[in-house]
Amino acid sequence: MVTRMLNSLIDISLKYKLLVIILFLTISAFGYKAYKEIPVDAFPDITPKQVVIYTESPGNSAQDIEKLITYPIETAVSGMAGVKLIMSNSIFGLSYVSIFFEDKYDIYFLRQLVSERLASVSIPNGWGKPVLGPNTTGLGQVYWYQIKDTTGKYSLQEIREMQKYIVTPLLKSVSGVEDVISWGGDRKQYDVLIDTKKLQNVGITYSDIVNALQKSNQAAGGQYLEFNREQYLIRGAGLYKTLDDIRNTVVKSTAGQSITIRDVATVKSASAPRFGAVSIDGDEAVMGMVLQRTATNAAKIVEHIIEKLPTVNAALPKGVVIHTIYNRTDITHKAVSTMTSALASGVVLVAIVLFLFLFELRSAFIVIISLPLSLLIAFLLMDYYGVSANLMSLSGLAIAVGMIVDGTIVIVENSFRKLHEEPDADKLTIISDAAKEVAIPVTFAVLIIAAVFIPLLSLDGLAGKLYSPMALNIVFVMLGSLAVALILVPTLSVLLLKATGSSENAVMRAIKKGYTPFLNYALNHAKPILVGVSVLFVVLAYILTLQGREFMPTLNEESIMYRVIAIPGTGLEHSTETSKLIEKHILKNYPNEISSVLTMIGRSEKGETAQPNYMEVLLTLKPGIQDLAALTKKMNKDLQESFTFVQFIATQPIAMRIEELLEGVKAELAIKIFGDDQKVLDKISKEIQSALSDLDGLEGMELETQLGQATINIEPDYLALARYGININEVMALIRNGIGEEPVTQKIEGIRRFGIVAKVKNAKRDIQSIKDVTLRAKNGSLVTLDQICNITLKQGASFIKRENLSRYMLLSMEVENRDIASFVKEAKEIIKAKVNIPDGYYITWAGDFKNMQEATQRLMVIIPITIFLVILLLYTAFNSLSKAMLILINVPFGFIGGIIALVVSGIYLSVSAIVGFLAIFAIAILNGIVLVSFIDELRVKFPDVDLKILLKDATLLRLRPVLMTAFTTLFGILPLLYATGVGSEIQYPLSVVITGGIISSTLLTLLVLPAGYYLLYKDRR
Amino acid sequence: MIRTLLLTTLIILGLHAVEIPTAKATKRAFFKNVELNAQIIQLPNAKQSIMSQVSGHIEKYFVKAGQKVKRGQKVVLIESITISKMTSNYISQKKQLIAQEKNYKATLALYKKGMTSLQALNRESITKDGLLAKLNALKSQLSTLGIKTSQLERASANFILYAHSDGIVSQILQPAHSSISQNTQIISLVKDKAYYLKSFLPLEYASKIKIGQKIVMHENGKNIISHVTEILPNVDATTQRIVLLSSIDEKVQNLYINAYTSATLYFGASKSFVCVKKSALSFFDNEWVVFVPTDGQGDENPYEIRVVEPVIADESFVGVKGIEEGEEYVSGKSYYVKSMLLKSSMGDGD
Repeated sequence: MVTRMLNSLIDISLKYKLLVIILFLTISAFGYKAYKEIPVDAFPDITPKQVVIYTESPGNSAQDIEKLITYPIETAVSGMAGVKLIMSNSIFGLSYVSIFFEDKYDIYFLRQLVSERLASVSIPNGWGKPVLGPNTTGLGQVYWYQIKDTTGKYSLQEIREMQKYIVTPLLKSVSGVEDVISWGGDRKQYDVLIDTKKLQNVGITYSDIVNALQKSNQAAGGQYLEFNREQYLIRGAGLYKTLDDIRNTVVKSTAGQSITIRDVATVKSASAPRFGAVSIDGDEAVMGMVLQRTATNAAKIVEHIIEKLPTVNAALPKGVVIHTIYNRTDITHKAVSTMTSALASGVVLVAIVLFLFLFELRSAFIVIISLPLSLLIAFLLMDYYGVSANLMSLSGLAIAVGMIVDGTIVIVENSFRKLHEEPDADKLTIISDAAKEVAIPVTFAVLIIAAVFIPLLSLDGLAGKLYSPMALNIVFVMLGSLAVALILVPTLSVLLLKATGSSENAVMRAIKKGYTPFLNYALNHAKPILVGVSVLFVVLAYILTLQGREFMPTLNEESIMYRVIAIPGTGLEHSTETSKLIEKHILKNYPNEISSVLTMIGRSEKGETAQPNYMEVLLTLKPGIQDLAALTKKMNKDLQESFTFVQFIATQPIAMRIEELLEGVKAELAIKIFGDDQKVLDKISKEIQSALSDLDGLEGMELETQLGQATINIEPDYLALARYGININEVMALIRNGIGEEPVTQKIEGIRRFGIVAKVKNAKRDIQSIKDVTLRAKNGSLVTLDQICNITLKQGASFIKRENLSRYMLLSMEVENRDIASFVKEAKEIIKAKVNIPDGYYITWAGDFKNMQEATQRLMVIIPITIFLVILLLYTAFNSLSKAMLILINVPFGFIGGIIALVVSGIYLSVSAIVGFLAIFAIAILNGIVLVSFIDELRVKFPDVDLKILLKDATLLRLRPVLMTAFTTLFGILPLLYATGVGSEIQYPLSVVITGGIISSTLLTLLVLPAGYYLLYKDRR
Repeated sequence: MIRTLLLTTLIILGLHAVEIPTAKATKRAFFKNVELNAQIIQLPNAKQSIMSQVSGHIEKYFVKAGQKVKRGQKVVLIESITISKMTSNYISQKKQLIAQEKNYKATLALYKKGMTSLQALNRESITKDGLLAKLNALKSQLSTLGIKTSQLERASANFILYAHSDGIVSQILQPAHSSISQNTQIISLVKDKAYYLKSFLPLEYASKIKIGQKIVMHENGKNIISHVTEILPNVDATTQRIVLLSSIDEKVQNLYINAYTSATLYFGASKSFVCVKKSALSFFDNEWVVFVPTDGQGDENPYEIRVVEPVIADESFVGVKGIEEGEEYVSGKSYYVKSMLLKSSMGDGD
């Protein structure tokens, strides 16, 4: 049935030649359009389906936030449909809950669901309101900029104001921009500095002042008045306009005399407490990060932002400009150009190889034309299915370049040969027959190649998201090549091919001459060769299991970034000072390499969970750096030695975000220790740490210390409060508003809003001054905080992390010069032997390793299924199980070379390498099919010829197409092997494996397959 | 072992990057003080006023408000009809008396010569005594008003008021050239040292307060010194604080009664303590610690973590238990030492 279908397809296309050509011209046109319009990105969108809920709760401690905010939110959202994982982090001033969903749901639907659940969460008044995080991807920070004041006239506060009220609204109006995050500088607020001692003088309380401020800052609408047929609107404009308005606010009035704010406080403009800062090249700065909305095109957004910049600059005061710091399209262009140049050079190399083998322009032209056509069809399909052009999807095309032409080669070669054999017959019939002859093997070969990459599509999580675009694109381009081979190629062959004097050229003749003795030997010693190869395969397969493993090779983004961690509890101002020192140090010592240094300290105001002891340092490199790896290494060492009081962890911008997406673990490998009591968790972590400290391959270990935040605990003494007639509410309000500087009302200036803070004067000088803060009760009692509260100093939690409603602590590790899997195995044994883990506490492994493990497990299931599918396809094609098995034998042949290449070049077994093996699987089968189908064909034609002679002839006749397909694939992949640009390292293992695989597969196919066939069929007739 | 060695080198290397200052623990006397809310008051008996006993017209003030006066100093000149009447009356009475005395002396001479009767002499004597009595009454009245009759030769309406005690003119109550009636207060006079500071001290300091301790009032950028003169037995009912009175040794014109002000009470020198700089303290594992350098030889950590107990503190020093006098300690940048120690305990050595 399949044969009939294919035959009629070839017949029809040969009948309507013009139509076929027009069809393909149209397809190319649309394909080209798709190629131009396709979204371009550095990476596939690897973000899990994730909804983030963050609750800003200024000034509150981690423990209270966990209790009063995080836990209620967690319980509300748990048990929702599709929830995979709930993670949370409660830090000083912020609750961060992140819900990971199964990938099948729509993000807007999920956000809707979460919002509905959030409505049922009750959080105490004044403790903040939960908000959904921006709907962006993990790599959504597509554009970073600094608002640069070239005049030096504006303060950071003013620049921050410009950021909030000029830049952000303009950038938010760009389509696809979800949000703009402001970072650095400080926000203006108005301080009403209350001298609490004066409260006694005028007989008022702190809450009187707060009330007065709140009540005196109001507007009202008075409807309208009709007068002389016209309408006059009435407006009560009672909002504060000047600072004097605040000063003149009446707090209390007695018999004609009023006590105003002026009498008890001084009012002035000040800065709000901040949680993060930014410094650039040794000076504090204000920066913004543009977040891309999910499922939008990063390159387009950045393009639009750049277009918008002149408008933004015009809106800013003269001399203040937007200065680009980081632009996602840079790396995107680099990554994409690495891949496109690999693709382009692959195409050229393949064309040259083809020409060398065919030595005939017309047939070479037909084969070569099928390359761009198949690629254009692939682009068309990418566009249709919304696959973006990125590192991974394009590399799929690059891998497939050599395989695209295989189908065409087989058909053209067959036609060419037949034309040569029967120069007098009707051209159309010959070509139709030639095409039909090989249609089945070609179709099945392409289908099998597609099938082989299906396991990648089934991968879950990060690996799936990374590699499925690659697999998809291979499938797309193979389908395109099949269409070209079956429909267009016969037509073009009829139109273009001519019978030539000799179908063979000098190159082929020489190869054949050298090859024949080997083939003879192989056929004569079939058994020992097969046994020898099998033994070799088994040995190599065993060696492969010893090979190191890693999840993903590190992407070289051509940039250097550091995560810098100081001890917990480090103050923001100190960190800012440190950052300036680091920046100056780098600029001073690497003037030829580094043009600018940016440090982000703590967190921006929107939902990040970093503390002031955490910094991210991004270096902008000068162009023309030769050896980035060496520079990075040197700098790592230098920085760590120059700044011993902090820890430097080298990373790269995208790599860092990817690490973060690995379920909140910013490390390749980590242990999560679960349990209730942070102190016990801390103890276990430290025990594990010391147990593992001497383990081979451990480069560094980092315990995410959750404890260690010094906390001034103000605990009300109820008896004392009763004595003085003060209630808790008053005390807490004083702590929240008076010390914690939570605004009590806002001063609205145009559209700008600034908090008005009823701040206790000199409360935050030192610990004693907190104790001395004075409170006046309604009845007049005057007490210090120390009198009514137990004020103690404690080392509390600086943050509390939870996963699926259980607290945990994280111990991350860096492993070098050793594969992670064996490291984990050894570490597990050591922990089991040395560390005592109490009841109710348990550990799990996390990080990159976990993904690798999951991917491997899944592949263990999927690969046998795929093999079964391939056998099924082969069986359908050849109608014989033994032939199917014979072709499958080719697979180990390919693997032999792949494994040798992998081991020799010392590359770890990564998902990338596995993809290489899958490709070899496909190539080997392709080789097998081409050969076996031809042998079958000859056997039918010449049933009486001795099998050995027949095999020899068939193999020699088939030598050219087999070599051609092999060489095209090899040369198609070579550019990936030698590529050096951004993203090349991800494809490197894959290309190493494929290169080795192709060589061994081709050689062995040409020698061992005939031998195998002989063994299998020598007794049959 | 090698690890620790490495670690030590690392830390020492780190010390080159950040200079860690050290100092020796010293003994130091601490002056404990407390900030207070205080009110400027005047005790009621310390205020006096100068009144005119006669009605009249204020002609001239000899003093200005705020001027210090001595007892008996001229204060104000008043023109008074009463005084004018009294003085003219006095002068005429005096003249009559002189005339009468002459009459009496003549009558006495005549009587001695027997030229007149005793009766007549007695009559003259009675008249003279009557005049004298009248004159003395006037004289005493005038001297009560501060007018010395001995120098009075002409009738005068001028009435000068004198300060009746040392003090300061706190206020001139009547404008010049105004008419006043009898017993009108014209000038209020306050005694020196009549201003007191009423300070409110939290109860927790009850055991430390003593008479004579210094309280410094901060007013308009000036520090005004006073000393505790009285500790009231009752605490202030509303504020629940101990009330201290201290007299102010300062020119009174700068102060306003009933004004609240801030003040600092100094309890005086307490015991001497071994102390460290405030910048040496670090909070470590729920305890205050200072870092003490070790010899740095061998495998030892270059710093020892010394738990201390802060006892007393002032602006820049903390008296602590747990460190010996003369012992060397890290006096600043203890953050860096803490960082290094914490980092090494995290196991990030190599």
